[in-house]
Order: sequence, then structure tokens, then C-alpha cells
Amino acid sequence: SVAEIRAGFTAIKANIQSRDPIRSLSILSHPHSLHKVKSSDRCCITHHLFSFYVDKVFKHCRTEDSFVNRKISSIANSFLSLRRRLGQCHEQNNCVCGEESTEKFKQILANYEGLNVTSAAMKSLGELDILLDWMEKSH
Amino acid sequence: SGELYCSLPNPRNVHFESTNMRNVLHWSVPEGTGDGVLYKVKYAVYGVGKWIRKPECRNINRTWCDLSSETSDYEEQYYASVKAFLNGTCSAWVETTRFNPLTDTKIDPPMVSVSSTDKSISIILTAPEKWKRSPEEGSISLLQVYPGLQYNVSVLNKKTKKRWFFSISNNTLVVPWLEPGTAYCVSAQIHVTTPLLDSGFSKEHCIATLKDK
Repeated sequence: SVAEIRAGFTAIKANIQSRDPIRSLSILSHPHSLHKVKSSDRCCITHHLFSFYVDKVFKHCRTEDSFVNRKISSIANSFLSLRRRLGQCHEQNNCVCGEESTEKFKQILANYEGLNVTSAAMKSLGELDILLDWMEKSH
Repeated sequence: SGELYCSLPNPRNVHFESTNMRNVLHWSVPEGTGDGVLYKVKYAVYGVGKWIRKPECRNINRTWCDLSSETSDYEEQYYASVKAFLNGTCSAWVETTRFNPLTDTKIDPPMVSVSSTDKSISIILTAPEKWKRSPEEGSISLLQVYPGLQYNVSVLNKKTKKRWFFSISNNTLVVPWLEPGTAYCVSAQIHVTTPLLDSGFSKEHCIATLKDK
């Protein structure tokens, strides 16, 4: 559940964010804020972002700290199960991607590809609270 | 301004202390420096990264700086940084960790008001307001900030010392089937499920049910 992801992230937030020295770039929140996503696009953006984290981020987030690694894999498992549930919405066509959300997600990918993969993955992981804050507020 | 070679020890423990989103930067005096140290402060929005000086906290000798106004958008996250000066030398800039006003603030207990009949007490709870720049500014209840906000309420029978706990989402509670002419004490706490945030319990508000007619 989202609360489990939140609890897992809170336990490693300081550790993960301290590995990201780049203040001037955000993967999720600049230049487009998730908080400006239209309600009709929310399901699609959420589905895209879950796939983004599962397919691109978690696999590049190994650390030398076994506690942190365990928390990351438990967060990844929670994402997998949530993505499966969201996938059902996607299949039933209740999760339509409008032009705006497609554009926003392209920007997120561009932000991600603007960094080397390890830095981009660690920064994305460090921004999980941005995703969770948006999800909790808007869903 | 060209800065001098910075050999002064750094300010320590630079961190945000936040309650109801009143966000104040705090730090400790650099080790081994007595009086006379001055400080300046800057902050940055995460993802933008441009450091912005805080004029009201330039050349100050206190060890805190209120950045509530600069960090009031809780959809953003922030960094702040402090530099010390003494006798013509200076320290390095020392930064906070990333500050998220939404998850890193503490919440005050709710306000509690109680009234009674002979067999029941009615409790009205009010969540604290988000910090605001001035009294004239419109108020935002933390209930609007945290849609999942709930209240945990404790009701104690002063005579029997029996205590009940209730968890409610709306802000009113009527406790029925009580004993007439008996004192009850009420205390309440705010509980936000996600992000996980709990206030302390409010102080107890005691009231007696009316005597039997």
C-alpha cells in the first residue's frame, strides 16, 4: 500500500537524498509540477510513473548499506503490486492518456536521461515523497 | 563580494524546526567561538537550485532565521544554508538536508471545546491553522492540507477512572449514556495517516454532566 511505501521511504529518505548533490534539477517537480496535472490525466500519469520506477529506477539503486537495500526492495515490491492493480484500470480503458500527461511524462523522462543512470535513479528514488505527496493529495 | 579565506569552524546542526508549517532555520554556534559571531542565510527551492539570500538574516548574531514565508509553498521542497563570520574570517556554507514542509512539520494538538447534558457530553474539535504571513491573510486549516486528518479522542470518567478512546474523521463527537453529576475529562490528538504525522494530546478539558432532574 501507499502507506507502506511512505513508511519505507521515510526510513531511508535522509540516506538516499544525501547521495544526490544536485539541487538545481528535479526529475518529477520541475519544470512541470505534478500538482498541476489535470484530474482526468491522473490515472495515466500514475500508471506511467509506476512503470518508470519499476522499469528504470529501482534496478539502478544498489547501495553499500544492506538496511537501505532491503528497504528499497520492499518499496519496489509494493510498487509492483500497485502497478498490477493500476494495470487493470489501464486495460479497462479507464486510464486514458491525454496530450498533456503524455507531454509531462516525456519531460520527466528527459530530466531522467539528462543525468547518468545511477545519479538519475538515486535522484528519482530521493523524490519518492514528491510522488507520494501528490498521490495522497490528489487521489 | 570577494570572500576571505574561510578558516572559521562551521555552524553546527543546521536544520529546520517546523510546527504547523512555521518553518524556522536553526543552527548551533561554531565550535570554540565565543561571542561576536555573525551569520548570513540563504535558501533554495529544490529543482530550481538558485540560492537566494535572506536579507533579514544578514549579519545577525542570533542562531535562527524564520524562513516560513520563503518556504510556504508546501508543494515544493527546500534547502537552506548558513555561513558564519568573526574577526574578518568566515566559515564554509553549511546546508540543511532537503526540507519537505508537508512531511517535516510538527502539528499542534487540536483545540477542544466541550459541553454537557445530564447523560452526555458534546465535543467540538478544531485543527490548528497553517502558519500565515499576517493576521489579515486568509486562514488555511491543516484539515485542508491533510485530507486524511483524523482525531483521536480520550474521555476519562474522573470518578471511576474508566477511559474511552474514539477515532473520528469529522470534528464533533457526542458521548452518550454517561452518569449524571459526574466529572469527565476530554483530551484529543490529531492523527494523519499518510504522511504519518501525530500531534501530541491536548491538555485535558474537564466538565461535569448535569445532575439528574
